[in-house]
Amino acid sequence: MSAVGEATVTVASRRPSAPPVARTARRVIVKVVTAIGVLIAAATVTYFSQFLVPGNRAVAIMNAQTGQSIQYSAAQLAPVNKEFGFNNPIVVQYLHYIGGLFRGNLGTSYTQYKPVTQVIGAELVPSLELTVGALVAAWIIALAVILLTVKRRGFISALGSTWEALTASLPTYWIGVVLLVVFAVEIRIFPVIGGTTPWGTVLPVLTLAIPLAGFLGQVTRDEFEKVLDQPFITTARTRGMGDTAVRLVHALRHAVLPAITLSGWALGSLISGAVLVENLFGRPGIGQVLVTAVNTRDFPVVSGVVLVVAAVYIIANLLVDLTYTLIDPRMREK
Amino acid sequence: MMRTKFPRRTAAGISALLVSAVLAACSANGSPVTDAGNTSTAGGTQVKGGTIVYAAEQEPPCLAGGWLQQAYIDRNILDSLVTETSSGAIKPWLATSWTVSPNGLTYTFNLKPGVKFTDGTPLNAQAIVVNFNYWEKGGDSTAQVSLDPYFKEAVAVNATTVQVELNKPYLPLLTMLSQGYFGIQSPASLKRSTQAQCDDPIGSGAFEVKQWIHGQELILVKNPDYTSWPSTALHQGPAIVNEIDWKFLPDATERYAALTTGEANLMYDIPTVDWTSAKANYQVTQYITPGKPVSLYLNTSHGVFTDVRVRQALAYGADREAAVETAFHGVIPYENNPSVSKATPGYDAAVDSAYPYDPAKANQLLNAAGWTGRDAAGYRTKDGKELDVKLVYPASSVITDEGATLLQILQQQWKQIGFNVTLIPETPAETFGGAYSTDTSYDAMPWYWTSPSPAILWIVWRPGTASDPNYNDSSFYTNTQLGNIIADGNTASTTAQADTYYAQAQQLIQNEEPVVGLYDQTMSIAVAKNLHDVWLEASQGEPVFEDAYFTK
Repeated sequence: MSAVGEATVTVASRRPSAPPVARTARRVIVKVVTAIGVLIAAATVTYFSQFLVPGNRAVAIMNAQTGQSIQYSAAQLAPVNKEFGFNNPIVVQYLHYIGGLFRGNLGTSYTQYKPVTQVIGAELVPSLELTVGALVAAWIIALAVILLTVKRRGFISALGSTWEALTASLPTYWIGVVLLVVFAVEIRIFPVIGGTTPWGTVLPVLTLAIPLAGFLGQVTRDEFEKVLDQPFITTARTRGMGDTAVRLVHALRHAVLPAITLSGWALGSLISGAVLVENLFGRPGIGQVLVTAVNTRDFPVVSGVVLVVAAVYIIANLLVDLTYTLIDPRMREK
Repeated sequence: MMRTKFPRRTAAGISALLVSAVLAACSANGSPVTDAGNTSTAGGTQVKGGTIVYAAEQEPPCLAGGWLQQAYIDRNILDSLVTETSSGAIKPWLATSWTVSPNGLTYTFNLKPGVKFTDGTPLNAQAIVVNFNYWEKGGDSTAQVSLDPYFKEAVAVNATTVQVELNKPYLPLLTMLSQGYFGIQSPASLKRSTQAQCDDPIGSGAFEVKQWIHGQELILVKNPDYTSWPSTALHQGPAIVNEIDWKFLPDATERYAALTTGEANLMYDIPTVDWTSAKANYQVTQYITPGKPVSLYLNTSHGVFTDVRVRQALAYGADREAAVETAFHGVIPYENNPSVSKATPGYDAAVDSAYPYDPAKANQLLNAAGWTGRDAAGYRTKDGKELDVKLVYPASSVITDEGATLLQILQQQWKQIGFNVTLIPETPAETFGGAYSTDTSYDAMPWYWTSPSPAILWIVWRPGTASDPNYNDSSFYTNTQLGNIIADGNTASTTAQADTYYAQAQQLIQNEEPVVGLYDQTMSIAVAKNLHDVWLEASQGEPVFEDAYFTK
């Protein structure tokens, strides 16, 4: 991920020994401008991709309103075209849309008749709770399995890597249904309809966390095994350091870097992929909003969600860069 | 795979429509269609108050509007002029009585005096006029399409008398008005922004909107000052429970799980695999929706189905009844009448016996139509062209996973008689975008359209003209004779007379076969045994909660 290399420089510059303030400021400006560029590119791609779907936008709005799949006469479509400005040249419509973005106006939903910021705003917090919770839980599970099973007796190591391979490949929906049936219906620990309550969030978080934990674990395991064979580990052990301390203090720090890089990607993919879990557990969230909007071709909402997900990716990757320098001091020295 | 359940039953949406009469009151299993709680009040004492948690399925983008899912909700917030009983009779509600002029053009409604909307606005004749004008201008797409050709104007004669004038007689009017789409809203509330109307419709009903948490639930709270219950209500007075927690749970597994753990008191649309267990443990009601059943439109303007013999061969060529039985685990009834379902008033039972499974007859018809060759794959050919059918279906919305299984079974049987049927699942975005709505984009397409009246025939089969095309006819089948018969039915002066015309129309459609029958559109609820008197009203199966109560 290119952001990683770039970030090392940025963060390094914040150190007291770093180059002048002007250079730092320039770096920050470059970062911000790049981020805005990425967002505009995302909005642009989304905007023009709506024309690739067969069918006319006004027809889609009429059909979504009436629940049909038919054609309409020009007279029937005229009010819709007028209301949403579909008669203007595409370039004008596009510039109008992008211009609105700079004023914080994401447009008005074609189906809910309210500002997109409102449609998404209400659902963003539950989505972030779910995805950040899932990421944290995935890390806890992955680290626990790694620390307990890597380079142990053959049987235990095999158990750990089998668990990772298995969970990483399980379909999310299936995990969700199993968790639901086992922990909400058979053993009634958690509610079936959890909503956004903390207790009701446990199963949805686990549903997303379990496959991700397997994935992160697989990535970390190889690295962890290599590190444990390094001379400095032997040195630490000869100094009389206990096995647990060696694993936690020395080996882990080296082994988690690849998985941290992937976490930035994971957060973004979790937020857009949470829809299955939201549907299954009756949870609000932007995953549901996105699917509904795509189905009804509610472009302003689709684009709004794309922008939010893009923003999450950008922020997540910045955080990844920061975490890198915290974990690996060499990054700061460069 | 992701299952997007978005437009489930939306076809129902625009449907709405017309007339009255008898609602056949039997499901496949012979359970009563309505009044679920009536039979089982035994055991326990009635509790006042409480919250009903309803595991519903689809969340509409707006609470008010022309979709069936919107009508389900609106029925509990808005009152209507009249209501329909399960026998098809029209009974008083906001209108305590009415008269129809001898020429069938003027309906005079006398309103219940002293009714107020929950925002304090009086519910008087002027309010009714405002609502008629709102429907006519497209405020509710279903209400509009139902009134459009016939409605002339509504006039307030005095505070409690409204006259509705028609352009031509329209026998189905009262039945049509009994649907949730015709709920009366406060005129003051209709002046608010579209968004406010969308989020919080104001009526005079037994409940009002307390809070709508998008993506999760709609909380309805009892209207303590309710005075305008329908004459068919099971009790007099405001609602017995305090709140309804209307949960939007798209996943059927979760809905059933919520019912089994007691987190929900009733659920919508029981999965067919859980049907037996649900019947053993809950009060189960299946409602067969009147209107056009799920049937297969055949494109009569382009492709192989321009020849009536090929259409008939398709109907003969598969054991549709057995396939429906298999695909839906025996829960959903087979419907051989492609134009109206068996729950529709005026249903002609004679039509139901046409086209039994008869592969010999199918082969004979295809031979007669000139499809005599066979290619290497075993499909029939004519002049070097294969007998290809492009069957497009709105996947996961109109056609559920089980519906798709049905189509696959039929595809295999049609292959035996030489049809090469390609199944094309259509995404919801394509459905709404009209990707497959033109007369050259498909050969066959299954769809349904709910309506409490056989006048649905007019909506679907009205012959289009250049200036007023009928895009609802997905078979592109223009038959003026058929149009005239249905129009005569709509303007007939008695129900018996109307039904004679509607029966003729059903026979003509079945003979010409521009559409092939598959199965009935149904809805079902399972109710916990301590909750009583939840009932489904007759016109659209809207669940009614104002009479419901818990027992200890």
